[in-house]
Amino acid sequence: MNAPILTYVTFLPLLGVIFIMAVPQRSEAGKNVIRAIALVASLFTFLASLRIYHAFDASIGAFQLLEDHVWIPSYGIHYKLGIDGLSFWLILLTTFLTPLTILSTWRAIDKRVKEFQVALLVLETAMLGTFVALDLFLFYVFWELMLIPMYLIIGVWGGERRIYAAIKFFLYTAVGSLLMLVCIIGLVYFHNEHTGHLTFDLLQLYGTSMPRIYEILFFAAFALAFAIKVPMFPLHTWLPDAHVEAPTAGSVILAGILLKMGTYGFFRFAMPLFPQGSAYFAPLIIVLSIIGIIYGALVAMVQPDIKKLVAYSSVSHLGYCMLGLYVLTRQGVEGSVLQMINHGISTGALFLLVGIVYERRHTRLIKEYGGIARIVPIYSTIFLIVTLSSIGFPTTNGFIGEFLILLGAFKVNKIAAVFAATGVILGAVYMLWMVQRVFYGQVKNPKNLALKDMNLREVAYMLPLLVLIFWIGLYPNFFLKKMHSSVEHFINQVKVEDVQEQPHNFAAANNILQLGEVTVLKVKE
Amino acid sequence: MNNINMSFDLYHLWQVCGGQLILIVAGLLLILVDIILMEKDQEIRGRWMGWLTVFIFAATIGHLACREWDLHDTIFMNVFSADKYSIFISIVMTCAGLLAAMMSIGYLRNNGLVRGEYYILLVFAVAGAIGLIQSVDLLMMFITLEVMSLAIYALAAFLKDSSYSQEGAFKYFLLGSFGSALFLFGVAIIYGTTGTLNITQMAQYISGGSYSTLPILVAFAMIMAGFFFKMAMVPFHMWTPDVYEGAPSVITGFMATAVKAAAFGVFMKVLFVGFTPILASSGQPDFAATVNLSALGPYWKPVIWWLALLSMFIGNLIAVSQSNIKRMLAYSSIAHAGYMAVGIIAANGEGRMGVLFYLFAYTLMNIGAFGVVYLIDGMERKAQDLEDYRGLGYIYPSLSFLLSLFLVAMAGLPPTAGFIAKFYVFAAAIKEGYFLLAALGVLTSVIGAYYYLRVIYLMYMKEKVKDVERGPIAAPTVVALVIAALGVVYLGLLPENLASVANLAQQSLAMIF
Repeated sequence: MNAPILTYVTFLPLLGVIFIMAVPQRSEAGKNVIRAIALVASLFTFLASLRIYHAFDASIGAFQLLEDHVWIPSYGIHYKLGIDGLSFWLILLTTFLTPLTILSTWRAIDKRVKEFQVALLVLETAMLGTFVALDLFLFYVFWELMLIPMYLIIGVWGGERRIYAAIKFFLYTAVGSLLMLVCIIGLVYFHNEHTGHLTFDLLQLYGTSMPRIYEILFFAAFALAFAIKVPMFPLHTWLPDAHVEAPTAGSVILAGILLKMGTYGFFRFAMPLFPQGSAYFAPLIIVLSIIGIIYGALVAMVQPDIKKLVAYSSVSHLGYCMLGLYVLTRQGVEGSVLQMINHGISTGALFLLVGIVYERRHTRLIKEYGGIARIVPIYSTIFLIVTLSSIGFPTTNGFIGEFLILLGAFKVNKIAAVFAATGVILGAVYMLWMVQRVFYGQVKNPKNLALKDMNLREVAYMLPLLVLIFWIGLYPNFFLKKMHSSVEHFINQVKVEDVQEQPHNFAAANNILQLGEVTVLKVKE
Repeated sequence: MNNINMSFDLYHLWQVCGGQLILIVAGLLLILVDIILMEKDQEIRGRWMGWLTVFIFAATIGHLACREWDLHDTIFMNVFSADKYSIFISIVMTCAGLLAAMMSIGYLRNNGLVRGEYYILLVFAVAGAIGLIQSVDLLMMFITLEVMSLAIYALAAFLKDSSYSQEGAFKYFLLGSFGSALFLFGVAIIYGTTGTLNITQMAQYISGGSYSTLPILVAFAMIMAGFFFKMAMVPFHMWTPDVYEGAPSVITGFMATAVKAAAFGVFMKVLFVGFTPILASSGQPDFAATVNLSALGPYWKPVIWWLALLSMFIGNLIAVSQSNIKRMLAYSSIAHAGYMAVGIIAANGEGRMGVLFYLFAYTLMNIGAFGVVYLIDGMERKAQDLEDYRGLGYIYPSLSFLLSLFLVAMAGLPPTAGFIAKFYVFAAAIKEGYFLLAALGVLTSVIGAYYYLRVIYLMYMKEKVKDVERGPIAAPTVVALVIAALGVVYLGLLPENLASVANLAQQSLAMIF
């Protein structure tokens, strides 16, 4: 138990990087060795993360498996890791999806294989680090560390407009996160002024009492950074570009894990750190989430490109996650967490499937296909199952997530729930319509007649996803029971502070009074 | 405190200005060696001169590092002071000189420019810079500033056949003289008003409070302008792009780091020792209590606030539109001056520590970047356009990786020294409540990230359009690049060691009295 298991899991992929560096990639054999090393490294990471599963105690709501070392003592910065019921699942999702993506790139990425696998593994470390870091500075370092590998993955191995997409992705994320950095420092000094304790430790910063206006400002900056990542409605424009231009593996990681960073950030940082700020912005965020749900679905409906359609569906799905977080009921939050996992699985699977057909035909336009169900039966079946899971068909994972969120929303905000529920219908419309146009009807395009069905490798990496789709759909309690106490803890954190508005206002008033006195004194001088 | 230190003995001299002594004596000897080697083969001459210079700088660093660390003293009737602060900045500048000298061996050979005076000028430039940072006397500051500057003017003009080099050096010389003249005017006014050239005595005069504000402010403004010119702060930055573009690449790297370190170091010294009275009423040096109560604070803070903001914005914005990589890095150096100035505005211990850390980190990443630029260049101006960097990532993978690392560090992304440095200065400013400046500052660094990353995308995401033949790689250059790269990563992961030394250094500013 005392082994620093989180550190192992986080940095295991880097070990793979060191090995990969030593292999030359000139020959085809060398490339295969590189791919194999990357796969093995990510599989080992997954196995190591299963140890977390055993070590994790679901009955504790607070953080566990803590590791704490001093890093930069003069600023109170620590290397502090720990997980709770949310990051637990997100870590497993990350370590689970990465080997699958590596397997999916076996043929698709044929140039600069070494660089690609290195970028992917560094990205995995950065993502895992973001989920386990409990020190704001450490979190920020991992958060920014994600940018460069993702920028390269989109920019080097992406489609035609890859550079535009890569730069847009980078700049959008950087603007948000740098403002967040300013506010992190501001928060830390604020804490320091009032407690005399300079620390970036998240657990100590929780519950820092500050005037409401500060909470609102800080929350706004944090929320901006995370809302860009989610992405919430008006800030989502980088997403379709990045998704469409990224190679399949990039899209899977982007949709499956990177987008969760945004919701994770709200859950872990923005909301519990600034409950009052969060409450202040809650109506706006709920409205934007609902706009996101409906708008994403409507725009997805008219996309001619399958990948773009899936990308816009992400906007819609992440809207549910945000809504679930913000209704602040147990069902809502648990549904939201589950929906994060679901979205990682279903949308990840959809991107993988789109990648499979793109590898064969080099087009993603819906009109190029039609009636291919007869030509590629296995592919069509899997695609249909994943589609059903994405639109929330009962017995699949999507249903549980959306149902819980809507249930939670209905308890506190009926209007929001009604509007959000229309998203379910719209989701069914755009996904099924697309499936109908791609898979059913007559084969119009003769090029499709030669389409090959999925091979063993492709089935191999889709199967685990299918298993999970039904596992969550049929027995969600396995997943939910691990997060009950953490979610309760979270809700208490965000809500309890809300009730205590009175003392805070006193504190604010006191502050203002003090400021006034100081000014008076200065004037007298 | 006030009595002039008349004691003079060799040990004392060695302890206080050993660094300058080594450099000046060795520089003179180098002239001799150059004459002896005159008849020899170019190759041998270049190698000897280069390695001797590297050795001289290494010896200087050794002396500075092993010198009595806790000694606080002045010499020559309070002209030069030795304290942790000046030692720290001297080491930064000598490191810049060392790295530059190592790269010069390959650079001069590649460009067929093997001439001894290059190294001699380099040694004298660093000697002047160390003298400048050790000066407590305004007139000596002027003299050493000129010693440093003249050497650099000559070095900037070193490419005799290049009109860019000549143009840049001439501009630098004219505008630099103008800046020095302003400085000297300021010094004259100070002398007329306070009757002293010594900054500690000046501080005592000012903290006495019985002065007329106007002449002091005019003098202050002029002295600031003189330093801003060397720091390349907007609006005193006009010379920077031309000089940086025209000068030999290695010298550009040296100029952008050593001169900046000298200018920032001496500026902070004048500001925090001379102009903002840091003497507490009890006579004990006490920074924290007095800096912000200083009478001149309301005057200089808004000025630097705006100049820092303008430097960050203008430097980063214009850099975006550059097509020559050296010009781009020149504008980026203007922006970096702005970031460092943020640490000065904070006017607290963290801010000064941040600036010192920043200077060291910037030295590593900037000289490293220019080292790669000269290697890819082959001959000066053969491949300096950004377009030439297309697809280089796959032709010269290690060089491209190093350049990417240095650029990522300059963009301020973790886990590099550049990120930590920016964190320190912005954290210091936020601590003092400069939220707006910090927020605008980090937004400009997004602009910065755009053009740094553009080089990376050209190298890795574009196909090459023309054949770029890099010059032959010299071993010392590789060593210098690897040192710089390791330093950038090391300081990014474990900054505490250097930061605590920098903190001691900035604290010792209070001990100059």
